[in-house]
Amino acid sequence: MKADIDLTVTYPHPIGQVWAALTSSEALAAWLMPNDFQPVAGHRFTFRTNPAPGFDGIVRCQVLELEPPRRMVWSWAGGKIDTTVTFTLEPAGEQRTRLRMHQVGFHGLGAQITRRIMAGGWPGLLRERLAAHLDSAAGLGIRPIPDQGAEG
Amino acid sequence: MPRRPGRPRRQQAPAHDPLQPADRFAALADPTRRHLLERLAAGDHAVSDLTSDLDMSQAAVSQHLRVLREAGLVTARKEGRHRYYQLRPAGLTELRDWLGELERFWRERLTALGDYLGESPANFREAR
Repeated sequence: MKADIDLTVTYPHPIGQVWAALTSSEALAAWLMPNDFQPVAGHRFTFRTNPAPGFDGIVRCQVLELEPPRRMVWSWAGGKIDTTVTFTLEPAGEQRTRLRMHQVGFHGLGAQITRRIMAGGWPGLLRERLAAHLDSAAGLGIRPIPDQGAEG
Repeated sequence: MPRRPGRPRRQQAPAHDPLQPADRFAALADPTRRHLLERLAAGDHAVSDLTSDLDMSQAAVSQHLRVLREAGLVTARKEGRHRYYQLRPAGLTELRDWLGELERFWRERLTALGDYLGESPANFREAR
């Protein structure tokens, strides 16, 4: 079971084009959220979305690493979560690019607790039910996304 | 495939006000509290049991337990002179669900990125 978000998508576009869409404020606004991003290591920026209870709608970020056109790391903090998001790009055949998006730092959900629980620290029925819940929750997303064909 | 436990029973609706998952992450961010949860994952305990392998006062442990209780991760019951703490599994599964939501968000956004690339303006297009 994973306690992070790890998605890989292959786009039918060359790496430079995908990188450009990840590193332009305007492009990010179009596919992700409105922002004041700049492609500069160390730059602090925010994404703004609709507030929800316990969340002011602002995601506070910083560009932690920037290695064109292959790797970019952001800190990503919103509500009380404090995570990092890493984008990794690699060519995947002619004019195709594989993008991996990996968000880590969800304290407590991963590592020891769940492992311990899954390993059998949990009494009887509760453990079975929990395992089933965790399985089904994990099933929601760990599947890789199919390639996103972009031709219309 | 791992063994498949019987179909889970309908997930219990949270008995109390569902707290923001964010508060749960904050509760879990502390290593002592994670340690306490692990102890409780093995069975119910009174505060005095839980204090025995920690280098801190019982009052401090009670305080951590209070944070966990307020975050919906443990419950407490009184038996005689003692208060026993118990893990609340729904607290963890709700966190998983929340994480699932966040993952859905990213999947949608990455799909939107594909649409954006497909319809991107000339300055991106010319690279094809």
